[in-house]
Amino acid sequence: MSTTRTLTPPTQARPAADAAAPGLRHPWKLVASREIQVRLRDRNFLMSTALTLVILLALILLQGFLGGGSMSYRIGVEGGDGTRIVAMAEQAATAQDPAAELVSVELGDASAVEEATRSGDVDYGLIATADGWEVVDEGPTASDLELVLADAARTDAMTRNAAEAGTDLGSLMAGTSLSTRDLTAQDDGSDGFMAFVLGFVFAILFYMSSLMFGMQIASSAVEEKQSRLVEILSAAIPVRSLLLGKVLGSTALALGQMVLIVAVGLVGLAFTDYDVALPGLAEGIAWYIPFFVLGFLALACVWAAAGSLASRAEDLQSTTMPLTMLLVAVFIVGINLQGIWRTIASFVPVMSTILMPMRILEGKVEWWEPVVALLLVLGFCLLTIRLGARLYQRSLLHTSGSLTWRRAMTLQD
Amino acid sequence: MLELHNLTRRYGDVLAADDVTFEVPAGRMVGFVGGNGAGKTTTMRMVMGVLAPTSGEVHWDGTPATRAVRARFGYMPEERGLYPKQPVLGQLVYLAQLHGMQAQPARRRAVELLDRFGLADRVDDKVEELSLGNQQRAQIIAAVLGDPVALILDEPFSGLDPTAVDQMSELLREHTSQGVPVLFSSHQLDLVDRLCDSIVVLHQGRVVAEGTSEALRADAPLRYRLTTTGDTGWVRGVAGVTVIDLEGPTVLVEPQDERVAQRLLTDAVARGGVREFSRIRPTLSEIYREVAA
Repeated sequence: MSTTRTLTPPTQARPAADAAAPGLRHPWKLVASREIQVRLRDRNFLMSTALTLVILLALILLQGFLGGGSMSYRIGVEGGDGTRIVAMAEQAATAQDPAAELVSVELGDASAVEEATRSGDVDYGLIATADGWEVVDEGPTASDLELVLADAARTDAMTRNAAEAGTDLGSLMAGTSLSTRDLTAQDDGSDGFMAFVLGFVFAILFYMSSLMFGMQIASSAVEEKQSRLVEILSAAIPVRSLLLGKVLGSTALALGQMVLIVAVGLVGLAFTDYDVALPGLAEGIAWYIPFFVLGFLALACVWAAAGSLASRAEDLQSTTMPLTMLLVAVFIVGINLQGIWRTIASFVPVMSTILMPMRILEGKVEWWEPVVALLLVLGFCLLTIRLGARLYQRSLLHTSGSLTWRRAMTLQD
Repeated sequence: MLELHNLTRRYGDVLAADDVTFEVPAGRMVGFVGGNGAGKTTTMRMVMGVLAPTSGEVHWDGTPATRAVRARFGYMPEERGLYPKQPVLGQLVYLAQLHGMQAQPARRRAVELLDRFGLADRVDDKVEELSLGNQQRAQIIAAVLGDPVALILDEPFSGLDPTAVDQMSELLREHTSQGVPVLFSSHQLDLVDRLCDSIVVLHQGRVVAEGTSEALRADAPLRYRLTTTGDTGWVRGVAGVTVIDLEGPTVLVEPQDERVAQRLLTDAVARGGVREFSRIRPTLSEIYREVAA
């Protein structure tokens, strides 16, 4: 053994560059995982996410408390007739909401009823008048109560009138029913209001995520540029991998946060009285996710470019201004469009992330519409990624001062 | 061996680097000297591939340096910075991983180096919480961590205290003894003189002098200082001798050659007592001032 060793010519101790380098196959993965780890350890990020969830849950609970409360009143009456009307009204009310409760309190005469209402012993008073009934109250009467009481009073009077006329209520009412049918609604009877609220929430979520994570991408880019870390990084891995990792890491985070918020929101809603069994809901959410991801990606590389244009963190405000304005415009215009313009805009990249899920939730789209919109935003994505990457590569190593968008376009390598 | 061939970088009308050619042989330490704006940083960035040269090439072991090769160069950029809000050890491991190292060995080596630079108890501190000198140490560790095949260091010694300078020098020596070529720029000429095997002087983008400090000194004009017991005004009359400076008994001369110098000494002895006759060896700073003038 030892003889062989002595025969071996002395080799250079220096490791050969090409042989020893294991080479990083996918450096972007490392960059993305750092990006995610840093953010997940960032107290501000965690706090703001937690705060969003808390506010969301509080809103849902508040809504459930205010809007979902059942009718419950004490009603002062003079005597038996009033009690009968209130009982009929309660029957009608519980048919709609089993928790509804109307209690009648017999007080003898009209002045006692008025007195009790004024003192707050009862919520309302029901007094017989010459040609019917009268509800007394301090201020306006709750419309839901007025509706059921009026119905009960009318039915009661008509039953009596019918009997006097020798017929019954049924024959008297024959042919009087009027119902409505919405031709624009589908047979599933989707709830327009719920669809609007959810669509709006989706729009806000996208707007906030894009702004927050976009800013984060930009500031992460300028952080590396400002500290010259980018020189070490770009000597080690291609700038494109750096950009890819940064953008994909942030996209994953944005998606994760969005899914968390939507999930918590849906679970929260399930515990309230709201009927969220929207037929378009599952479909809407399923489509929202790809629209969210692509809408985010479409701007992500441009955010990175905005960051690389700045030379210091302080310049970010001005270099990211066009993007911020764009997002505000997309959001404001998106939620305010009507009719045909809204339909057209739901195909426009980025805008489609706000409008197409809304339209899907409303159940008013053909199957091909989201597909086309998705393809359009995908194409737009490829375009902005190329543009963003080019700007990013050119300006990242440009160290002397902040760049304008126009100058960066004409910059040489 | 690292070779720079005619590296040129033009910014508009300005030539930041003009036909820069020199080599950093394996296991040698080359000092890169020059005033502010001489083009040192531009050149080093081109060596790292961070900046594309207008023309010229960087060769590694005889062939143009590829990205894969450069990924194994250890680099310390001019302006310092690591991620300010990330813990020291974490980002050192991350940077080493980007250079293709596995996480575990990278962590071990980083801890070892941090310990050596006296930062063992600061591994989990954020970089911004370290003093500037300690940030600099962390930066150096970042440069050498990925088991580099060459080291390109832009002003690695600036801002270091004498202890850190010694630690740093030792670290560099370890690398050169393993055959790693080291190129570093510095304004601390005495340090360059002490550490480097050879020196490259850059002035206005051009290499104006290059070689070992011995060779550079040899190129410097021959000078002697003569101090006698009497006045030395007679020296002006000696053939082949140029008087640079004369002050009473002391005269600084530039003899044509060594023979003329010896004759001058004999003359001086013949005229009376000689207190001093010494060869003036220029310091690196003097050489530098001369070539960069």
